[in-house]
Amino acid sequence: MPPLRPSMDQEFQSLEEKTGAAYWKSLDELAQTDGFREWAEREFPQGASELSGGFDRRHFMKIMAASFGLAGVGLAGCRRPKHEILPYVDTPEDVVPGQPQFYSTSRPTPWENMPVVAETHGARPTKLEGNPSVPGTAGGTDIFTQASVLDLYDPSRAKRNRSGGSTLSRAEALDRITALGEKIRESGGEGVAFLAEPSTSPSRRRMVAELRKACPALTWAEYQPIDYQAGDRAATRYYGRPSRVQPHFDRARRILAVDCDFLGREPGSTRHTRAFSASRRVDDPKEAKRMNRLYAVEGDLTLTGAMADHRLKLAARHYEGFLAALARALLAGGETLPPGLVAAVRGMPEDPAVPADWVEAVADDLRAHRGEALVAVGTGLPERCQFLGLAINEMLGAPGSTLSLLEREEEEATTISQLANALQQGSVNTLVILGGNPVYNAPANLDWPLLQQMAGEVVRLGYWDDETSVAANTFLLTPHYLEEWSDGETREGTLLPVQPMIEPLMDSFPELEVLARLGGRATVDPYEIVRETFQQRGGGSSPGAFQTFLATGVLPESGYPVLRDATPTGEVVRVLREAPPAPSAASASDLCVQFRPSNQTLDGRFANNGWMLECPDPMSKLTWDNAILISPQLGKQLEEAGEGQIFPASNLMNETGQLVQNTARFKRGKEQALMAELTVNGATLRGPVHVLPGLDTYTVVVPIGFGRTAVGPVGQGSGFDAYPAIPADNRWNASGGRLQLTGEVYELANTQEHWSMEGRALLREGSVDEFAKKPDFVSKMSVESHSPPIYGRNKNDPLAEKVTEIPQGGSMYKTPEFTAPQQWGMSIDLNVCTGCNACVIACQSENNIPIVGKDQVLRGREMHWIRLDRYFATQSEDEDGLPDDVQVAFQGMACVHCELAPCETVCPVNATVHDSQGLNVMAYNRCVGTRYCANNCPYKVRRFNFFDWNKREIDHFYEGPLGPSGPPKPLKMQKNPDVTVRMRGVMEKCTFCVQRIQAGKINQLAKAGASSDVLVPDGTIKTACQQVCPAEAIVFGDVADPTTRVSRAKESPRDYAVLGYLNTRPRTTYQAKLRNPNPAMPSKYRYSQPFGRRDYEQRYGHGGGHGKGHAGDDHGGKQPAAASHGNDY
Amino acid sequence: MANIFPRWANRAPLRVIGCLLLVVGAVIAGGTYYLTPKYARVGYEPTQPVSFSHDLHVTQLGMDCRYCHTNVDRSQHSNVPATQTCMACHSMVKTDAASLQPVRDSWANNEPIPWVRVHKTPDYVYFNHAAHVNRGVSCVECHGQVNEMEEVYHAKSLSMAFCLECHREPEKYLRPNDKVYDLTWQPESEQAQIEMGEELVEHWRVNPPESCSGCHR
Repeated sequence: MPPLRPSMDQEFQSLEEKTGAAYWKSLDELAQTDGFREWAEREFPQGASELSGGFDRRHFMKIMAASFGLAGVGLAGCRRPKHEILPYVDTPEDVVPGQPQFYSTSRPTPWENMPVVAETHGARPTKLEGNPSVPGTAGGTDIFTQASVLDLYDPSRAKRNRSGGSTLSRAEALDRITALGEKIRESGGEGVAFLAEPSTSPSRRRMVAELRKACPALTWAEYQPIDYQAGDRAATRYYGRPSRVQPHFDRARRILAVDCDFLGREPGSTRHTRAFSASRRVDDPKEAKRMNRLYAVEGDLTLTGAMADHRLKLAARHYEGFLAALARALLAGGETLPPGLVAAVRGMPEDPAVPADWVEAVADDLRAHRGEALVAVGTGLPERCQFLGLAINEMLGAPGSTLSLLEREEEEATTISQLANALQQGSVNTLVILGGNPVYNAPANLDWPLLQQMAGEVVRLGYWDDETSVAANTFLLTPHYLEEWSDGETREGTLLPVQPMIEPLMDSFPELEVLARLGGRATVDPYEIVRETFQQRGGGSSPGAFQTFLATGVLPESGYPVLRDATPTGEVVRVLREAPPAPSAASASDLCVQFRPSNQTLDGRFANNGWMLECPDPMSKLTWDNAILISPQLGKQLEEAGEGQIFPASNLMNETGQLVQNTARFKRGKEQALMAELTVNGATLRGPVHVLPGLDTYTVVVPIGFGRTAVGPVGQGSGFDAYPAIPADNRWNASGGRLQLTGEVYELANTQEHWSMEGRALLREGSVDEFAKKPDFVSKMSVESHSPPIYGRNKNDPLAEKVTEIPQGGSMYKTPEFTAPQQWGMSIDLNVCTGCNACVIACQSENNIPIVGKDQVLRGREMHWIRLDRYFATQSEDEDGLPDDVQVAFQGMACVHCELAPCETVCPVNATVHDSQGLNVMAYNRCVGTRYCANNCPYKVRRFNFFDWNKREIDHFYEGPLGPSGPPKPLKMQKNPDVTVRMRGVMEKCTFCVQRIQAGKINQLAKAGASSDVLVPDGTIKTACQQVCPAEAIVFGDVADPTTRVSRAKESPRDYAVLGYLNTRPRTTYQAKLRNPNPAMPSKYRYSQPFGRRDYEQRYGHGGGHGKGHAGDDHGGKQPAAASHGNDY
Repeated sequence: MANIFPRWANRAPLRVIGCLLLVVGAVIAGGTYYLTPKYARVGYEPTQPVSFSHDLHVTQLGMDCRYCHTNVDRSQHSNVPATQTCMACHSMVKTDAASLQPVRDSWANNEPIPWVRVHKTPDYVYFNHAAHVNRGVSCVECHGQVNEMEEVYHAKSLSMAFCLECHREPEKYLRPNDKVYDLTWQPESEQAQIEMGEELVEHWRVNPPESCSGCHR
């Protein structure tokens, strides 16, 4: 348990606790110390701050004159201020001022708890990392967890408890809760309804059970806008017992994902990504054939689809037909099912839209890997699809091998529509809403905002001043999860603690405490409740056991039991028999609309989180907005229907030679998108259209969670709200959509609208076959195989020698000296990178990277140190030049720390130089902002502070010192004290987390003392991006030591340097991506080399575009010509 | 013949010299102010809320640095002792001394003693105590003879050049680890220091950073 008394020892971190109205207890109060004020006043004498109020030239001149005068006379402002050191009066145990502390906790979500370790500086949590002690996720986290720390310090989080318009003091709020509890218990719960966000917390389950026991007539309903429970519900009905399917992707060699984005939005994706990458990773060419093969069927283009070796574009309405066809193909192949089921599956209608040859080829491949095959069906699919998925997995022998059936605890909760009925009938007089945001996201047909008023009194317990809070009679604050005691479970039921890292910043009431008080419990302290639950879960009653639980952050072996001897119920047969006839094919007037949780705001809960909003969507690369995503083919059809110009015109002149105004102009960072109206499910959504290759032709994808009305200033005006169009019975898909362009143009902040790699070898791909036969294929690509020898005669020296001695090769330049015993380098395995973006936010949170706002992103000024380049490659293009099917690959790109860095040679002030351990460092103090370095960087990874992002508020950058100074104070508390907060006018970029390197080295020095043991052991230093990566794609370490993981990764034949022919000798190298195509696929879908690779070979490959006379040992002369080009794929 | 130079030219050289003197004087004054150790606050000796004497506690009573600065070998930050540490002795010793009233007040009211900071590196410098005191760099190298100070003052400049002096030639300053907190320890001779220092540099693999990333992040 962390000591919640803040450290007083660092005057710039003093978190002195004060009571009263000021809710900020830290840095700014420090700013109010006499010394600081004196300093501030001396530097800007006589109320320079008055300027921020209004602007008056005379006044300004007066002030400036005074300030110049004082500056000239006294020079006192140049002297350093008087600072105070405020030590503890009584030092808490284990606190070492200046050293961060790490505590395990977990982030609750309605569907799982994410185990984390929180880094705290002086009792301020600043960074969350995955908890390596928890099996499954094993140290990885997801992007939302990384961003969640920002919400704690959000200046626009709700600050006061209130009733009607008046603020409630803590005591008054407590009185309300007590009175409400008495009222509820007196009436036995009659007329009282709760609407809660689901939770995995066993303590909450206990409190709810006790409350319901005390008040038997009470209605307990649960609701979340994203239906993540369809899978669980279906499994429960299938087996007749509360169950959950837990896939094990690490054990599967053949995987079929049917609209199941298990690498992205599905619950448990962090765990799944780690497991999937374990069976995807190939180090040894001899083992290449062990690499898993992934098939994906989807209408959308998801991260899973991007990773797939074969991807079938299919509109959502045909999933059922697809699964039925697959089940039949497996049955035809001799697999068995209970007889009733066989008949039911055989009796299901055939869907002509499903390509039978694709299904058969996949069925054969799955059957050939019986016991190692897995079919993953998305949680969003309807029940029949889930049933078919379970039946198929049984045929493939998956239960017990590639998936486990887990027995969950039964959960009884009313649905929101049942609650709505009760409200309608007027039988509810008190409605208590715990968490969630139903006014914003309840099913549209319920008309919840009105319905809610049918209850006489609405009490809301929430974190934000959101739509629901505004509409409630009484609003009580809940703490952030970093401020409270609770617990929760992973997807497999393992118990995790939630422990506070900081004293609550507001007068908030934890949910557990409120439920306990309402239930009339004697013990209402959440800490005690959590401890009781821990004991009941078999954690042991000794205090030591609980301390161990908190220290490790997990109760081992506490997961759900495995469900044995489960057989399908008769229900399954009945439901399958009810299958309707095959749906008609989708068309432009009958579009399939897929609603998907946004990669930025999820379901809207991150709508005020600047990190998330500015983090580009992995596929569309849009920031700050959602868009109606359409396929290029649909775009073309709309264009041909004369609705407007969506694609940039290839010819900007018309027949008479007049310039044509192109409404779809693409500039850097600016996408002039056309607005459209999407009519579906009786609602009309208005939003910008963005063309995303790879979508099914008549599928339209709409990310939800935008367009919030009651949201903080950051999220104000972002995107459009898609909830009104989501059907109540199917929260993921709708049919019958119509799209109509309105002719208006909307600017979208797109960070990478470019579609393809255009055959360049930045990202190198190969097939498993090729890798097995010719492991060094990557080194035969790009100009490296043509360029003059970069390392000269030292070409074949071991890496450890090359990085320390820096052979000059043919270069005339003097090379830097790398004298430190340890030389840092990184290797990124593109084969397992899923493009989840978690590294982007991890880096942002570790390195104090500011957000810049949509306006500045439109100008291309985003500040992310690491970006994920997304490349599309296409198999074929139609006559309009539109991509048909696409393969997607991601490449994380940050400063690669070139040994011979082009940026350094152009810096006029030596602000960017090399240090002795091979890092390309930025000395911010020297930088004068010429931006030559950014200009000369071939990787485009340098970022310039055009404004004081950290000091000014978004949208007030241009007002300079006359605008309000920001960002609002609490945000400062998130900053990592070990990293400089950069000012306006300096360049910045990835530092390889130099603060972590130095901390690792210094800890080792302190340990070494009077000995020579100064080398940091491998694996001690982890960069933020490496630490977070759920796929473990990033390896960092000492490249001067051949035994480290990174050195071994760089030994891989797949290792290559991006733009290596420039002789930059980057310290970050990449491992080529592999695809594992099925050679037995029908010819239409078969390919022998990834699309991007084939494109490259066609343009530049040997014997292809240019290399007829080029044969030579270095040039792949031994390679059979037909393997690299021609028409055989 | 008419005068080639107008009359005012007679005084021009004087004026030029006068201007030059002013400019040079301003440059010298500025240089003295900003560039000399005075600017780096050598000699800065603020009045502390409690007139704590290191001379009394260290030299006369023989207390170790780490009795109060407990985390100096574990953290970047060498902590100023908590009131608790003072009260460990002063709840029994000199319990009614007037000079200790702020300490007793602090203990009674749970309010920290507002010590005035003497040594401060700029925000962009990440100095780490643990890395130095565990590797043969004594307190005196940066803080001077604190053990003899009645009131702590800024003894050395702590400028970047000052840091680099040692980082470039560590053998001139290193001492055995058991002498780090012995502030009165002196090498036998300059020659002996260099010989011992070179040995330590080699045995301990001392490689102090001279590049930016050593201190700036």
